[in-house]
Amino acid sequence: MTDAAPGPTQPTEGRAGPDVQVEAAFTCRGLTLGYGDHVVVRDLDLEFPEKRITAIIGPSGCGKSTLVRTLNRMNDFIPSFTKAGTCLYRGVELYDPSLDPVLLRRQVGMVFQKPNPFPKTILQNVTWGPMINGYTGDLRELAVESLQKAALWGEVAARLDQPALSLSGGQQQRLCIARTLAMQPDVILMDEPCSSLDPVSTSRIEELMDSLRERYTIVIVTHNMQQAARISDLTAFLEGGDLVEFGDTDQIFTRPLYKRTEDYVTGRFG
Amino acid sequence: MTATQLDALRKSSTRQWKEGSIHGVLMTSALLSILTTVGVVAVLAAESSTFFREVSPVEFLTGTKWTPLFDPPSHGVLPLLCGTGLIAVGSGILALPIGLAIAVYLSEMANRRRRRIVKPMLEVLAGIPTVVYGYFALTFVTPCLRWLIPSTEVFNAAAGAIVVAIMILPMVASLCDDSLQAVPASLRQAAYSLGATPREVSVGIVVPGALSGILASFVLALSRAIGETMAVTLAAGATPRLTLNPLESIQTMTAFMAQVSSGDAPSGTSQYNSIFAVGFLLFAITLFMNWLAQRVLHRFREAYE
Amino acid sequence: MTSLGLGDNAHLFQANLEQRRRRSARFRRACSAFTWLGVGTLFVLLGQILYQGAAWLGWDFLTSFASRFPSRAGIFAALVGTLWLIVTTAAISIPVGVAAAIYLEEYAPRTRLTRFLELNISNLAGVPSIVYGLLGLAVFVRWLSLERSVISGALTMSVLILPVIVTAAREALRAVPPSLRDAALGVGATRWQCTWHHVIPQALPGILTGVILAISRVFGETAPLLVIGLPIFVSRTPSGLGDSFTVLPLQIYNWTQRPNHEFQNLAAAGIIVLLVVLLLTNLVAVVLRQRTETES
Repeated sequence: MTDAAPGPTQPTEGRAGPDVQVEAAFTCRGLTLGYGDHVVVRDLDLEFPEKRITAIIGPSGCGKSTLVRTLNRMNDFIPSFTKAGTCLYRGVELYDPSLDPVLLRRQVGMVFQKPNPFPKTILQNVTWGPMINGYTGDLRELAVESLQKAALWGEVAARLDQPALSLSGGQQQRLCIARTLAMQPDVILMDEPCSSLDPVSTSRIEELMDSLRERYTIVIVTHNMQQAARISDLTAFLEGGDLVEFGDTDQIFTRPLYKRTEDYVTGRFG
Repeated sequence: MTATQLDALRKSSTRQWKEGSIHGVLMTSALLSILTTVGVVAVLAAESSTFFREVSPVEFLTGTKWTPLFDPPSHGVLPLLCGTGLIAVGSGILALPIGLAIAVYLSEMANRRRRRIVKPMLEVLAGIPTVVYGYFALTFVTPCLRWLIPSTEVFNAAAGAIVVAIMILPMVASLCDDSLQAVPASLRQAAYSLGATPREVSVGIVVPGALSGILASFVLALSRAIGETMAVTLAAGATPRLTLNPLESIQTMTAFMAQVSSGDAPSGTSQYNSIFAVGFLLFAITLFMNWLAQRVLHRFREAYE
Repeated sequence: MTSLGLGDNAHLFQANLEQRRRRSARFRRACSAFTWLGVGTLFVLLGQILYQGAAWLGWDFLTSFASRFPSRAGIFAALVGTLWLIVTTAAISIPVGVAAAIYLEEYAPRTRLTRFLELNISNLAGVPSIVYGLLGLAVFVRWLSLERSVISGALTMSVLILPVIVTAAREALRAVPPSLRDAALGVGATRWQCTWHHVIPQALPGILTGVILAISRVFGETAPLLVIGLPIFVSRTPSGLGDSFTVLPLQIYNWTQRPNHEFQNLAAAGIIVLLVVLLLTNLVAVVLRQRTETES
């Protein structure tokens, strides 16, 4: 996808709806999430299919960030976080006490809302994760490859040893994606990755995601309707902690089953 | 707008006079701080200039004997500098790594409840008057040292360094804690999401990210150790000596000043003047270190804004 | 450990996760051990002092003058002297310090002079206390011929804690939301009316807390008073600002110095009194702070 023009794109061939049987990367059953007594996500049933881009949309506070942060157990760092129900990753319960969250996060990478490169050089940013995890190949090769995949190589090839903080916001975010790709993950979670970027940088990230869609399972949280419509295969709409509707992106945006979905989707456009 | 309406908006002279005088009083108060600095520098310069009329600055800075009470007196400040250095380095070796470790624990590992217990305790430790540390050094640390290593002298640099380390520990811990906390949480999350262990996140990302703040706190703590008086006067002795052996009695710059002034040196003697020369040197060293710390911190702020 | 199936990228890494986990746990234990070592030191320190000094405490100890005989020695003169010093220092330094803070926070234009003032104040806070003693000795004791009197000591201490008071008061003033100032100025108040009627009342608890903590430093500061040459043996309490006096930390210093263990125990008893006074002062400050925190 090369143009960043607003509006939903035509459905491409091969995009699968939830009714088509694809292997699920994550399976949530009766999942309830909260902080202390405050319930954020209620009794959620959802499957994130493999090698697809699934978008989670909804108004702020609907629990979409909490949900995505559950998938690689980043919520572990919030003491009051509570979880009930099951959430399976490839058939393994995520919160099984014997599961090592460090191992999990090596396979389920994450890109955050604001670009957050480490205060190190560009090269070190990409190699740090593989380095601590004892990558057996050549770290520099891996870095180059990851930067190429993240469509950043051309801009940073000559300045790998400069601080990552000297990059522009959009470049920093692509660096963070490269950093995630370097871990050769299975899933990439994106928590509003473009919310702090300008439109040009946003469209570059979207192109990048499009190029990654065959190889990775991507879950993206976004508050930007057009973005969800442009890049995702499937869309889940959450409101007030409830899953209102989940289906093919095209269907959600053109023929929503529920009034609530339609109101939200059209309201943002209008 | 008519003339009367404009009149109503004209500045009232009594009100202006009142506001102006209040402004003046407040500003004078603020300017007093400059007066203090000028006073400190002027006093130190004036009084030590009398001293330097008798003793050449070269002899003062390079002489290896400090015997102002002997006849003829010798005024080489190196033994005092050496004593101060021994205390600063010794306490630094102990307090800087331990302080940083405490900060890492508080900021990265402790839960909120532990934090709420430990932080006030460190504040209490920081609030204890220095003379109390002197007492602790003489009556507890030195006996322990002498029990461990019987050749230890009654007054020794090691006891001084240990209590100064305890003194500056809370400062190092809380300043380092502040800098670690200033590292954005998103960096920790990014590191964890790459499959790092807590140690790798702390040592590999958070501590390097807060490095300037940590270094600045180290410099400030050492500056405190250099300026510390009571504990070292009581514990480290009054023997100006060029030595690196921490078990021997030494004298620091501050201890010398305390010794001479409590001995009621009459004004005008070279002894009386020498404390101002030593004070000047001490002032210059600590001022330089504070400046250094501020420079380091300044770079830190630039990095995240 | 549950194995993660399909998408496993483990073949690419020799992660040694077991070992890394162990190292992480060891690191955590080490950091925690150092923390408890620090906290433990506090208890050893307090324990040693209580153990040595508690037996010497008593009404006589508080109401007797210093003496050559440990059994008859007390801290009355030092206690009264400390009180004189605190009150005088507070009377000098608080108005000046708070006024300077108000100027810097509410009035000062952002000029080079202001920045220099701020830099100057922060640098003064880093000057070793003994250097202030030299200033006091030269200016107050000798040049102004105030001798080793309460006023000399108080002026020296005021100079010492002024930067601390200014910084604390500025922080309290800065915590007052700018919208309050806008509102006051918006209805036609002058700078001073705005400051006096709105900003200061709002910031007062914060200022008080900071000021009390700053003043509490005077209780324990010894070095500058040692340098201006306060006498240790004082057989009467001061009756005016020009009188000679001594303070508690100096008395403790003197007793600690003596080779006689009984005097050292007296020093411990003196320390207990000093720490209790400090504790009470800080308690007032903490209570004040918590009150404002719950109110706002």
